[in-house]
Amino acid sequence: LVLVRSPLPRLRALLQRCWGRLERGLWPSVFGGQSSPWGPALAVQGPTLIPQGINDAEAPSLLESVVWMAAPKQRRTIEVNRCRRRNPNKLIEIKRNIDVCPECGNLKQKHVLCGYCYAKVKEETRLIRMEIYKKEGGPFNTPTVETVVLYEGEKPTEKDKGKRIIERARKRPSWFVQN
Amino acid sequence: SGAAWARGLLSWARPERWLASGSLFPLSCIHTSTSLQQIGRIGKWEKKNRIVYPPQLPGEPRRPAEIYHCRREIKYSKDKMWYLAKLIKGMSIDQALAQLEFSDKKGAKVIKEVLLEAQEMAVRKHNVEFKSNLHIAESQTGRGRYVKRVRCHGKGMFGMMKISRCHYFVKLVEGPPPPPEPPKTGFDQAKEYVQQLRNRTLVHTL
Repeated sequence: LVLVRSPLPRLRALLQRCWGRLERGLWPSVFGGQSSPWGPALAVQGPTLIPQGINDAEAPSLLESVVWMAAPKQRRTIEVNRCRRRNPNKLIEIKRNIDVCPECGNLKQKHVLCGYCYAKVKEETRLIRMEIYKKEGGPFNTPTVETVVLYEGEKPTEKDKGKRIIERARKRPSWFVQN
Repeated sequence: SGAAWARGLLSWARPERWLASGSLFPLSCIHTSTSLQQIGRIGKWEKKNRIVYPPQLPGEPRRPAEIYHCRREIKYSKDKMWYLAKLIKGMSIDQALAQLEFSDKKGAKVIKEVLLEAQEMAVRKHNVEFKSNLHIAESQTGRGRYVKRVRCHGKGMFGMMKISRCHYFVKLVEGPPPPPEPPKTGFDQAKEYVQQLRNRTLVHTL
């Protein structure tokens, strides 16, 4: 991924700001501690007492006070890249917690429900919910009694006295135990 | 790279290429250009299934059946697919299918389909008796055709991104998987070193 915008305007703006600060004397740290290098000073003869520090300090000052970002120095060779990418900590570990579901025979993880059995139950629950919807007719019509699901050939017993009965037109599945 | 791209697109339009393909009638010949060639091309891996060995002599040990299968232009990165290919290298097919079923990666689903297809091919066409008696001898990934697209950033900036695709190749061999190599001990390395020292001779002498 390569950004098209060139860095020159940014650098130019930065340099302009630095130079402006220098001109206005707002960068005293550059000259090693003197408070106002351009302020009034003793008028002396000869070139001996000209502060030499200005010319020396100017060139490196712009480079020292800029914050440099970390960047790679050398291209990483493919050998080094391979060592990193193929290190055992990056390879996928083999899972040792896979078993066979005793109900359906599909594979399942030990701490997770069997996907096939769960899908089976989910489908049956969906059909029961459709029956409930047909009986209720609309939202917010849930009665305040328990619900019992009865399959083909089953009669409501003593225990199902005050409960709402949902009929399903199929044989009772083996995993749905009655009471 | 932009020039090469443009050249690839316009290569079908060059008339001298049509006559160079060898047929007499330029209108009926097949374009030998890059873009059209790659659509219906049969790769080397697919052709490996076509080799026919001469019948084996009665005393020879039975040659195990080899089934080559691949899938081309899967929308996934070849480096990410490589980790899955490395996982199932050398496993039996049942173990490989189990590992792939519970892997969370996108390529796991694709590889699982490829393995099931290969297993079915083995049973139907390659005279394999038991579908569980297969192991994965080789599993490799290859780079598919990359496509460059524009990716929009903020402030009107854009970058070029590449949409990567990969191929996946698998070779199933009949029989139980080979036992894993024991890790090299220090004693073995020392023995090898001593053997190397013993193999030294004098050269260019009498």
